[in-house]
Amino acid sequence: MKVSMKWLKQYADIPVSPAEYESRMVMTGTGVEGTEPIAPELEGVVVGKVLTCRDHENSDHLHVCTVDVGEAEPLQIVCGAPNVKEGILVPVAKIGAKLPGGVTIKKGKMRGVESSGMLCSGPEIGVPVELYPSVGTAGLLIFREDYPVGTDVKPIFGLDDTVIDFEILANRPDCLSVWGVARETAVAMGTELKLPEITVKEVGGDIHDYAKVDVLESELCPRYAAKVIKNVRIGESPYWLRQYLYAAGMRSINNIVDITNFIMLETGHPMHAFDLSKVRGNHIIVRKAEQDEKLTTLDGKEYSLNGTELMICDEQGPTGLAGIMGGEESEITEGTQAVLFECAAFDRASIRVTARSLGIRTEASGHFERGVSPATVMDALNRACQMVNELDAGDVVSGVIDCYPNPVKPVTLTVSCARMARRAGVDIAPEEMEEILNKLLFTVSRNGDEMVVTAPAFRQDVEQEADICEEVLRYAGYERIPITHLRGETPMGGLNSTGRRESILRGQLTGMGFYESMTFSFISPKTIAALDLKDSDPRNEPLMIRNPLGEDTSCMRTTLLPGLFKTLATNIKNGNESGKLYELGTIYDAKNRTADGLPTETHELALGMYGGQADFYALRGVVEALCKQAGIRTTVASCDAAYLHPGRRAALIADGECLAVVGEVHPDTAEKFDLSGRVYVATVNLPRFFAKTQPMGEVKAIARFPAVTRDLALVMRETQQVGPLMEALRTGCGKMLEDIRMFDVFRGVQIGLGNKSVAFSLTFRASDHTLTEEEITRLTEKALKISKEQFNAVLRA
Amino acid sequence: MDIRENLAQIGEEMRKEMESADALAALEALRVKVLGKKGSLTALLRGMGQLSPEERPKMGQMINEAREKMTAMLDEKQKELAQKEKEFRLIAETIDVTEPRDLPEIGAEHPMNLVLNEVLDCFTSMGFSVVEGPEVELDLYNFELLNVPKNHPARDAQDTFYIDDNVVLRSQTSPVQARTMLTQKPPIRIVCPGRVFRADEVDATHSPVFHQIEGLVIDKDVTMADLKGTLDAFAKRLYGQDIEVRFRPSFFPFTEPSAEVDLTCFNCHGKGCRVCKGTGWIEVLGCGMVNPKVLEMCGIDSTVYSGFAFGIGVERITMLRYGIKDMRLLYEGDLRFLKQFR
Repeated sequence: MKVSMKWLKQYADIPVSPAEYESRMVMTGTGVEGTEPIAPELEGVVVGKVLTCRDHENSDHLHVCTVDVGEAEPLQIVCGAPNVKEGILVPVAKIGAKLPGGVTIKKGKMRGVESSGMLCSGPEIGVPVELYPSVGTAGLLIFREDYPVGTDVKPIFGLDDTVIDFEILANRPDCLSVWGVARETAVAMGTELKLPEITVKEVGGDIHDYAKVDVLESELCPRYAAKVIKNVRIGESPYWLRQYLYAAGMRSINNIVDITNFIMLETGHPMHAFDLSKVRGNHIIVRKAEQDEKLTTLDGKEYSLNGTELMICDEQGPTGLAGIMGGEESEITEGTQAVLFECAAFDRASIRVTARSLGIRTEASGHFERGVSPATVMDALNRACQMVNELDAGDVVSGVIDCYPNPVKPVTLTVSCARMARRAGVDIAPEEMEEILNKLLFTVSRNGDEMVVTAPAFRQDVEQEADICEEVLRYAGYERIPITHLRGETPMGGLNSTGRRESILRGQLTGMGFYESMTFSFISPKTIAALDLKDSDPRNEPLMIRNPLGEDTSCMRTTLLPGLFKTLATNIKNGNESGKLYELGTIYDAKNRTADGLPTETHELALGMYGGQADFYALRGVVEALCKQAGIRTTVASCDAAYLHPGRRAALIADGECLAVVGEVHPDTAEKFDLSGRVYVATVNLPRFFAKTQPMGEVKAIARFPAVTRDLALVMRETQQVGPLMEALRTGCGKMLEDIRMFDVFRGVQIGLGNKSVAFSLTFRASDHTLTEEEITRLTEKALKISKEQFNAVLRA
Repeated sequence: MDIRENLAQIGEEMRKEMESADALAALEALRVKVLGKKGSLTALLRGMGQLSPEERPKMGQMINEAREKMTAMLDEKQKELAQKEKEFRLIAETIDVTEPRDLPEIGAEHPMNLVLNEVLDCFTSMGFSVVEGPEVELDLYNFELLNVPKNHPARDAQDTFYIDDNVVLRSQTSPVQARTMLTQKPPIRIVCPGRVFRADEVDATHSPVFHQIEGLVIDKDVTMADLKGTLDAFAKRLYGQDIEVRFRPSFFPFTEPSAEVDLTCFNCHGKGCRVCKGTGWIEVLGCGMVNPKVLEMCGIDSTVYSGFAFGIGVERITMLRYGIKDMRLLYEGDLRFLKQFR
């Protein structure tokens, strides 16, 4: 919220530097985004009087003027403005003057005639028409008042002011006003709060003879107050008012509208002014819209309503959207004779819903959404009438219409000083608490530790002792909070078991050279479709977001693969020659719901590898190594994941359950995800992985008897998978087969086309004796028998 | 020839040959030639049969003494040569230790996990348990039980993703607080790290997906000073002993009083620099005393228990820790970025 420093200082002194003020406000809870001079770039422009004005001899439009700027000699200045003439008072930029846009005025010659400065238009010195009515860019700004020549123009336009941009917390809508920040300022500065005394001069008559108000929705409109101004004299507002509005970023319209905006800025109460003659039947009715009712607002837009909106209507139909924007029809115009001032309080949720659904956000709706106190409505309305008096903008009719069926009761709380001090952890004496609360305009009566505290009417955020505690602590000073340590029994902290296990996995992957990546949890449903999963796969039905940022991020991921593919593609595209990446993250299963009805969230591990040493076996090995370290025995089997190369894809199985899928990305899939070259990916189902993880048990004794190794080269068909054969040998040869390793695969005409010779090294050992030659022969023969009978694999000749 | 002479001659020859021997193999050949089964000295010993029985023991002793002497000499020489050969070998095996080779690659965890690990280490060592909660969450836990009813303006600050009227992508990690309080009796001391979601377009400082760490302590007589002490310990552990914490008044619907927490700028140590925009302080987290209304809604007696809560933005502290200027780098997974972490 931007506020003029001059305006603020009118109500509370700020006897310190802007930086010091900013810091004190911040430390007491009123954020400051920044302070900025309103015209930082304007310098050296003064009031000058054009003494003489003649045509330039070499130009058909330039004039040569002599200008008195209060110096010993008048200046000779060449000017091209059409409205320049003798006797006018204008802004003069002297040599060395600085203008907005970084312009510096230098001495020069114009068509041979020396010019020592520049006569300025409004825009040239950053003065818009709404700040000082002039002809704008069409010519010079001509002062309509008499100022001494040589006077700096900045104070005249109010451009010597500073604007402070406050950042008001969500619980303090009362501070969205000059009075609000003035109240905080006075306490923070320890200066006197000088809010104006409100007196209204009325001309008699009775408002009830002029207007009638009926509020049909007192829940949504807890208070509606109105005053009538007759004999309205529409005109422009005085400079000071235009300046205040300008500093706040608002445009001056006319005196009546400016008064309503001024009141909103000063008190935080949005107001509305109706041309009473356009209010049919002189009767304001506050009701909900009817289905499909139409309204054209002040900005000329037509809205069709759905029946939930709170409307301000007259006897024939809507004249405004309550608390958001007035209607075009009852707008104040040059010809307005009588005005009805509305100052009301509306239900914030209702305003919020309507503003959102119609897509309108105004200063007024912003105030109402954050909360406007019904209790202070009359202050604002009377202040507006006082302004009418001051600006002589009309005559205030006596009496008020105030629909306020259920006056808000002031919040009174009984609080304990000791308990509040304990909550804050700061030793604040009850006397000090009382003093702070008094300064904040709370009414306090204290009896020892117990205080009965009544919040001022403008504070709607105070509900409980904790709130009073915060008020006290804000001004006692957060810096007084000491540093103490938790005293209670210290519970046993630590990661949960999944967290610990995942941390181990991450460590192992780091050791194997993998880098962790993170991608968004939402993906495009198209990327799931691109995986060509089976129709029955639940991953095809992701959880959809109702209001996504875009199609790309419109559903929750059911697998980490699309994210991983994107990361891999980025790296390949960026020219990173090889990569080993993984992501460990949440996937969302919309089909299986928790007890709360929420989707099941589980963690998945996805790994990807390309370039360098990457191949199918390298990546499968990584996953197998993770399994081995977790004490999980896995077997490898082919699988049918369609996004993987049909000849290079496998599942890792433990106890009949698939723990992981690994393979080379199918060229079709690679194309869809912009992956070039061979890319290998794996996914690990972490819940299953952790369920199968075996804790480390007792160590085995180191074998005391020697091992014997026999190498066997077995010739088999090319299509025969080695895995099942080895698995059969492992089970078939019993526990004396300590280890079996494959160390070579040979292909050649010697062994016949379509065959391969696979060399295994079998290690035999008994735990209780040295194996005899007969035993070894028997074991070897058994191995050969299994190979021959089950796999048609025979010893190579 | 007399045995004695022979002996002397053998000895002399061996000495000569031994001296000229420059390799272990030559020395071994010499040993065989003299002392081997067919060696000259052995032959001499064999020839002793021709001697008289009186001479035999004398000669035998003489030859044996000579043999011992020769063996000792050969052993000595062998040691010498072995040493020399070893030295040669070591010289010959010299490699250019400055030649480069490819390194075995050690990867790295994501920078945010590196920072998160440090933060969790810090809090778990203070007795905090790590608790996680669902990311797709009921509005009830994400808002209502945290004192943010429907159409409350505080919801505007957090543009929330909705699944349906009652289910949201959690906009903060605070719902884990509510879930914990509803199921666990005080004392409670937890930290809840996790993903949160807000409908912000991606740019250098915004992301629709980001991470928070929520902290919650509920016990008897917990004060705001304890909160400051806990965060002070955290700040010093993570950023160094000279780091101070500053509390500024703030507002969150679920805490009262609330504070915004600044730390001494760890770049300039409070002098004022670009990172802290000249203030010497860096805004790091929000916190406060748990609003008694929240305690009551979650079934905890606020007249008996009090507590504090805090929320740390992981992206923010990661970016500050490593001087990362653009948040997008954290989610792109470019190895040129990821490989810088260790």
